[in-house]
Amino acid sequence: MIELKGINKTYKRSSGEPVSALIDISLQIGRGEFVSIVGASGSGKSTMMNILGLLDAPSQGQYLLDGQDVTTLNVNRQAELRNKKIGFIFQAFHLLPRTTALENVELPLLYSDRESTKDLSRKALEAVNLSERIHHHPSELSGGEQQRVAIARALVNEPDLLLADEPTGNLDRRSALEILQIFQNLNSAGRTIVLITHDQEIANYAGRMVRLERGHMISDNRIEAKGAVQEAL
Amino acid sequence: MKIIRMARHSLRMMSRYKLRTGFMMMGSLIGITSLTFVVSVGESAERGVNTMLSQTFGDHGIVVMAGGGETGGPRGTATRLKIDDIAALAKEVPGIEDWDPVQTLTTSVRHGDASDNARVLGESERWPQVWNRTASRGDLFDETAVTSSARVAIIGETVSKELFGNDDPIGAEIQIGAVPFRVIGILESWGTNAHGMDRDNEIIIPISTLMRRLTNVDTISQAKLVVTDPDRSDDTKAEMRRVLRERYGLTAGQPDGLTIVTPMQTRRMVSQVQRVMFFYVPIVAAITLLVGGIVSATLMLSSVNERVAEIGLRRAVGALPADIRLQFLLETTITMLIGGLAGIAFGYTVAQLGAIQMHLGGVNPWTAALLGFCASTLVGLLAGVLPALRAARLHPAEALR
Repeated sequence: MIELKGINKTYKRSSGEPVSALIDISLQIGRGEFVSIVGASGSGKSTMMNILGLLDAPSQGQYLLDGQDVTTLNVNRQAELRNKKIGFIFQAFHLLPRTTALENVELPLLYSDRESTKDLSRKALEAVNLSERIHHHPSELSGGEQQRVAIARALVNEPDLLLADEPTGNLDRRSALEILQIFQNLNSAGRTIVLITHDQEIANYAGRMVRLERGHMISDNRIEAKGAVQEAL
Repeated sequence: MKIIRMARHSLRMMSRYKLRTGFMMMGSLIGITSLTFVVSVGESAERGVNTMLSQTFGDHGIVVMAGGGETGGPRGTATRLKIDDIAALAKEVPGIEDWDPVQTLTTSVRHGDASDNARVLGESERWPQVWNRTASRGDLFDETAVTSSARVAIIGETVSKELFGNDDPIGAEIQIGAVPFRVIGILESWGTNAHGMDRDNEIIIPISTLMRRLTNVDTISQAKLVVTDPDRSDDTKAEMRRVLRERYGLTAGQPDGLTIVTPMQTRRMVSQVQRVMFFYVPIVAAITLLVGGIVSATLMLSSVNERVAEIGLRRAVGALPADIRLQFLLETTITMLIGGLAGIAFGYTVAQLGAIQMHLGGVNPWTAALLGFCASTLVGLLAGVLPALRAARLHPAEALR
């Protein structure tokens, strides 16, 4: 589903001096995989997330999404692909304030051509067990609940790929485990998930771990004994 | 329809930021209120001035007034303008078709116990054709009535209502000052003029009767002369002044204290009034609106800065740069338009009250409403362009950081 070929990303510091954030990354992720990308801060994992999510373009290399070269697409085509194929989950949730859970979940549908947006949003909130709180504002929800609203928003357009950037970074342990449980369930149902984290323990709940260090990919291992949320709880 | 969906969404977003939206609406409201006010009052005032000018002068009238001031200004020392002077003008100056001398007096009028303070106009029997005014009922007086100083009166509707209520005044006797008159007709209604003077609170009587029986003077206050060719009226005016100065035996340089107003002058006056009404006054309103627009643009720009993460998120979930642009344009325009609609209603109400206060005719809201609608939409679009462009230019990955 995802194929990165020789991806490089170079930023320019304000002093003009170039910094390599990603160096020669080649990686394949198949449909239905649950992959965690681990690294310390500065390892290039956020850049990786931006490139995978079509929010930023690589300086060099090729990115094939479902066999289609997406690096050469214009901004509008990329936006369309993000809308249809990719669901984003962020550390800071990025929910619209003073806006109900339901309206937050509806947001991606505003930019698609799908009808009956209310029904789809309601269904997505049900999938993350929030049907009781659809009319609450983010300020009335706990961190874990807010992140579940964000997951519902990522799911509402039924994307092939979920991209989660430190989704448990702002959560307590229990809420974090609940979120990981949701990811594992979604993965069992066939959804491809890429989880970006600095936390080795969190990364262990995926089926495969890719490790980044200073822009290089240093390991790529299948996790034999995937973390079980029930046990951890 | 995407744009309708986006407009609904923008409305919802605006309602989340009530304070900012409120301030933006105020900017638009104040601008459009002043625009609506000046345009509708201006229109009404212009109509009033035009009506008064055409009623006073018509297209072919030259008015001679004793006193040196401009029309409407204070009268200087009165020259002894007499009926004979005007008769001489009519005879000696070519191109004068008709004329009517006027002397006025404001005094109390009584019928039984009822009384009224009315403006009494003494005129010749030619007043209807010269002033383009007539009686709506009853009779006019003729030349014999003027030569015999007959005590007959044609009264305005206000006078009739004050003295007779709903009764028919024709044939009844009234007292003007201490002198009894017979009412022979009712004046056609004119309403209130631009000076706030009720022109139905007037009585027309033969000028000889007024001069001999009421005021005991031999001068007149003004006369109107109808000319055959209004385009030549500047020459006619010069000729009139020459004849009058000769009759008074004035030497060159001595002031004559006469004011002569020609159709050319009234036309110039009208176009001056129009220039003020249709150019300078809307400019003042436009400046107010411009200030409102700048305030809105500033508020909207700070809103974009506040909502960077939101913009990044929208881009991540699939908004095109054009969608972001549209959203911020819609938010600004809809806000300004709602403020503008309120401003139209408010400005119209104030204009209506002002018009009543200033004795202007009814205010026509449509020009001002259309102008207000277009102006607030335009200002909203203009105020929204810069914030919208800035929002759409944000890089999604950076906005989300």
